[in-house]
Amino acid sequence: MSTKRLTAGVLAVLMAAAVLAALLPAGGSARSGATFKAALISDVGHFNDKSFNQSQLAGLNLAKRKLKVQTLAIQSNNSSDYIPNLTSAIRQNSNLVISAGFLMAGALQTVAAQFPDTNFAITDDTVSSAFGDFKGADVHNIEGLTYATQQNSYLIGCMAAMVTKAAKGKQVIGVVGGIKIPPVDVFLAGYEAGAKKCVPSTTVLKGYSQDFVKQDLCKNVAENEIQGGAHVVFAVAGLCGLGALSAAKDHGIWGVGVDRDQSFLGTYILTSAVKRVDIGVFNAIKGAKAGKFKGGSNAVFNLKNNGVALGKISPKLKGRLRKQILAKVAVLRKQIISGKIKVPTSVS
Amino acid sequence: MSSEPGGGGGDLQTPPTGEPLAADSTAYAPSVAERLEIYQRAGGIVTPVITAVFAFFMGGMVVLATGHNPWKVYQGIFTGSGLNWFFHVGHHSITVPFTSHHVWFPWNTSIQSNAAYNLQQTLILTTTLILTGLAVAFAFRCGLFNIGGQGQYLIGVITGIWIGTTFPHLARGPHILLAIAVASACGAAWAAIAGFLKATTGAHEVITTIMLNWIAYWIGSYLFGQGGPLQNSTNPSVPVSDSVVNSAKLPVFWGNAALQGLHIGFFIALGALVAFWFVLNRTTLGYEVRAVGFNPEAARYGGISVARNYIVAMAIAGGFAGLAGVLDMLGYQYRFGVLDVQTSQLGFIGIAVALLGRNKAVGVALSALLFASLLYGTSSRSIDQTVLKPELAGNLTLMIQALVLLFVGADVLIMALWQARRRVLPRRLKPSPPASETA
Repeated sequence: MSTKRLTAGVLAVLMAAAVLAALLPAGGSARSGATFKAALISDVGHFNDKSFNQSQLAGLNLAKRKLKVQTLAIQSNNSSDYIPNLTSAIRQNSNLVISAGFLMAGALQTVAAQFPDTNFAITDDTVSSAFGDFKGADVHNIEGLTYATQQNSYLIGCMAAMVTKAAKGKQVIGVVGGIKIPPVDVFLAGYEAGAKKCVPSTTVLKGYSQDFVKQDLCKNVAENEIQGGAHVVFAVAGLCGLGALSAAKDHGIWGVGVDRDQSFLGTYILTSAVKRVDIGVFNAIKGAKAGKFKGGSNAVFNLKNNGVALGKISPKLKGRLRKQILAKVAVLRKQIISGKIKVPTSVS
Repeated sequence: MSSEPGGGGGDLQTPPTGEPLAADSTAYAPSVAERLEIYQRAGGIVTPVITAVFAFFMGGMVVLATGHNPWKVYQGIFTGSGLNWFFHVGHHSITVPFTSHHVWFPWNTSIQSNAAYNLQQTLILTTTLILTGLAVAFAFRCGLFNIGGQGQYLIGVITGIWIGTTFPHLARGPHILLAIAVASACGAAWAAIAGFLKATTGAHEVITTIMLNWIAYWIGSYLFGQGGPLQNSTNPSVPVSDSVVNSAKLPVFWGNAALQGLHIGFFIALGALVAFWFVLNRTTLGYEVRAVGFNPEAARYGGISVARNYIVAMAIAGGFAGLAGVLDMLGYQYRFGVLDVQTSQLGFIGIAVALLGRNKAVGVALSALLFASLLYGTSSRSIDQTVLKPELAGNLTLMIQALVLLFVGADVLIMALWQARRRVLPRRLKPSPPASETA
């Protein structure tokens, strides 16, 4: 018996050794200091979220093709990945490291302080040592990429209110937010303000699913709003929001997509609040490559520079109503761009 | 038994599982005790090694099917996990603790080294996985399937954050000890609920621990969420806790503390492994726990309180998981948020760690290292992006984990193959009669 055990043990050790030996010659990362290298670190939403992170990855890949820069995309599976991912990008000689979202603000602040000579940018966060996530920090090497999504949400709020009025039911519209955080609330604020501007009697039902991933949670919140008479449901919750949109589809009412143009979901998608995070990433790389990295300041992407926009408008919206709505939206857009309308950024 | 049909007299004895005994040559009976017994006979560490190798092989096949080179992917994982650090032997120096002396050391411990940094991260994960693995393994040895590791881990996290962010005037030592003690105790109490329910009402621990996981999940979401009692005081719109105060942070003994260096919790986890082995093999408590695990009816007949052991075993298991949670908080994460509650998986991975490690101390240590290397090494940090797309890299970990679980579940198949190998061998020392005619 014991000899057999021994044989088995020796076999196992040999097998393990063989595997290790075979793996040994690994290593030796390619180094070329000459070209510019840009890195993008995802937040916990993953690069295949069909939304926020995926768009930014598209921006990175666009920069790779158009600007001939080296790129590095690193995915974070949980928040304890942030610091290793950021430092790993630096160790691989990245000239610009972009954090895909304000969830990484804390980790970015720590790492940026440790590597003062590397340039960083962060999507969706305002960089200032006076207030916010980077209050009191040295931000000379961090650039904020911010999106004025209240502006396109304002236009969408107006559209939603007008289609609801035309449907002659209860003048109620709904919005489902993920977690109540500033980048989510800014959509809600614009949406509500826009709806009240176009149809002052509109009631806006606001709910939060407390989640960005689980579609059933968003669906529940949306169902509640639909029970409350909502004729349009605007989903501002990443992957989770798809649940809210499917509830809208089930009840034959309008849905509104977010971040990317989600018109591919069907004609019930009135439009989408498109946030061109890809353009933000691309422009940040372009600027840094040209030596125009603006540490300590914030680049704003808005209706004027097409950083935020409306997605495809549903072909189901037809005839006079479509013309009316588009005319109204065009007027409001001009007023927002000219600064005549100041859209609020936080919900009351 | 292997030559007899499983019916007959066996039915009168009514084995505790109530399931009919299989009558094949492997003498397989689907009870935990039987399974452990078969494991014992199946040739030492061979089964888990084969299981892991199979899983890697199948994972490689999938990588191949997607048109990538599995060899390069596994090389990337290996380098990414930092395990290559051990193979770069050279002339380096290391400071002797508490002095400024340098002595020769074969490996490069400099924090500038990529491999060293990766290894630190892998060992940080190993620390957690050892403890969440022990949480499953200890309960398993008592015949309980503790799926509640994740919930117990979260309770440890919550308590750790609570103690770690309050009492800012405590000295460092007492603060850390207080946090660790209270968090482990809370984890233990949380798991003991399931043990208590099993002991008093017979409610199955699989069901109750899963339910307790969700309760812990939502408690965490509430406490760290908007307006929750543990939410940070500086930025009310972000659902994350405050950072643990400096006096509660564990010392980092390797690497840069600001960049997630390796904390001394690693040694606590190693100590926990020793404690696990010692309690199970060298104490009356451990003897009783194992007796109940093998056969609760026989243990009861022998004068052992089965109910008491269920509660105690679950409590000890929960203590390990709670310890894992608090060490993560005080060691390197320092804060926790609603999103972390949602994405945290380490408690669940503990199940895979325990199963692959066959609920033994050494096995758990090795499989924790394996899973930590996989988790950290499969990150898109380390895999060449031309070989495997970054959005796919993490999925490879999940796949290999799933395959390991699948093969562990299919241990019977592997053992049958193993037995067949023995039969083919000409030299048979014993016809390997199992411990027949029990009960």
